[in-house]
Amino acid sequence: MVLAEASAVIDFDRAHRETYERALIAEAKAGSDMAFEKLYRMHVGRIHGLCLRMTANRDRAEDCTQEAFIQAWRALPRFEGRSGFGTWLHRIAVNAVLAQGRRRREETGIDEAVDDTLELVADPAAGEPGGDLDIEAAVAALPPGARRVLVLAGVYGYSHEETASMLGIAVGTCKAQLHRARQLLGTRLAPVEQPS
Amino acid sequence: MSGQGEEAGARLNAMLAALPRELPPERDLWPEIAAQLEPRRAPRRWLSLAAAAVLLVAASSLITAHVVRQGVAPVATVTAPPVSGAAAVRPASFGPSHALDPEYVAARQQLAAMLAARMDRLPSSARQKVEDNLAQLHRATDEINAALALQPGDPLLEELLLNTYQDELAVLASVNQLANFNGTTVPEDKRIKL
Repeated sequence: MVLAEASAVIDFDRAHRETYERALIAEAKAGSDMAFEKLYRMHVGRIHGLCLRMTANRDRAEDCTQEAFIQAWRALPRFEGRSGFGTWLHRIAVNAVLAQGRRRREETGIDEAVDDTLELVADPAAGEPGGDLDIEAAVAALPPGARRVLVLAGVYGYSHEETASMLGIAVGTCKAQLHRARQLLGTRLAPVEQPS
Repeated sequence: MSGQGEEAGARLNAMLAALPRELPPERDLWPEIAAQLEPRRAPRRWLSLAAAAVLLVAASSLITAHVVRQGVAPVATVTAPPVSGAAAVRPASFGPSHALDPEYVAARQQLAAMLAARMDRLPSSARQKVEDNLAQLHRATDEINAALALQPGDPLLEELLLNTYQDELAVLASVNQLANFNGTTVPEDKRIKL
């Protein structure tokens, strides 16, 4: 039986995808890296998207994505399915981003608390106001703390409680950071007044 | 918040919600991930049942050796003798393009018949666990068969299904071993925890 032949991502509807995913999880838990590769291909887009938006850096996003899947492989035998597999992976990815931030701080001396006070800087390469490129650039230019909260709560739809839990911050801090992020984005994305 | 502020907030929400959730990396990260995965082989739950080992090897090797690809051959099924409760062994099938070998079918049928005769000898707690375990395996079989119907011939799903049938055989074998001890009810100190 050549499992390697089964590497194509299968486009199931949601219910069948979940069924298929459960089967893959069971097999990956038992040690099949081929099943795990399928899980990787099903989820890598979302995990990398999350990491890219949280780090605002392509290389660091790739590192965090790799680290997240390696950690997921190690932790998989303990995955009990109480949350969805995607949500579980997201938590691992967020931890990878936070751990990388800590390492970076230790290695470079960049203090994120100071970094976090940076004001939004307009990106001249950004697209038209209101476009996808424009808002992606505006999110990327947010201070790290505000950006992480906005990405989890504003883009990926997690509640304040879930976001605060993932980031290890108080719910109040989460709300304040989201408010700040939205204010900064609103300023950046406000339509330019045209002279009459 | 003013009407203008609410409008801006709603516009921002709409823009954020419209962003794609998936942003695949520009290069394939899998080879580097795969290189860092430590190999592991988690012990299969049922294989820890030492008392069932001999029968399990005999029975499961029948599956491994004899589930054969037969093109578009009709699905082979076997109906086990009626067994009461959730532990009833159901017809076995293996997707739309495979057939189960008659030797395996016969072995499974024999085990199922033995199960029917011996379940009553088990302590009620053990019987309940067996029924729960078999029901869980049946659900797994249903799910994998449903996935196989959508993706016929998927080698990974086929292997999963084989494993599930092997697990089921292990449970059946363990029940027969347990209930056969001294031909009567198993003494408390000789029971194997399922």
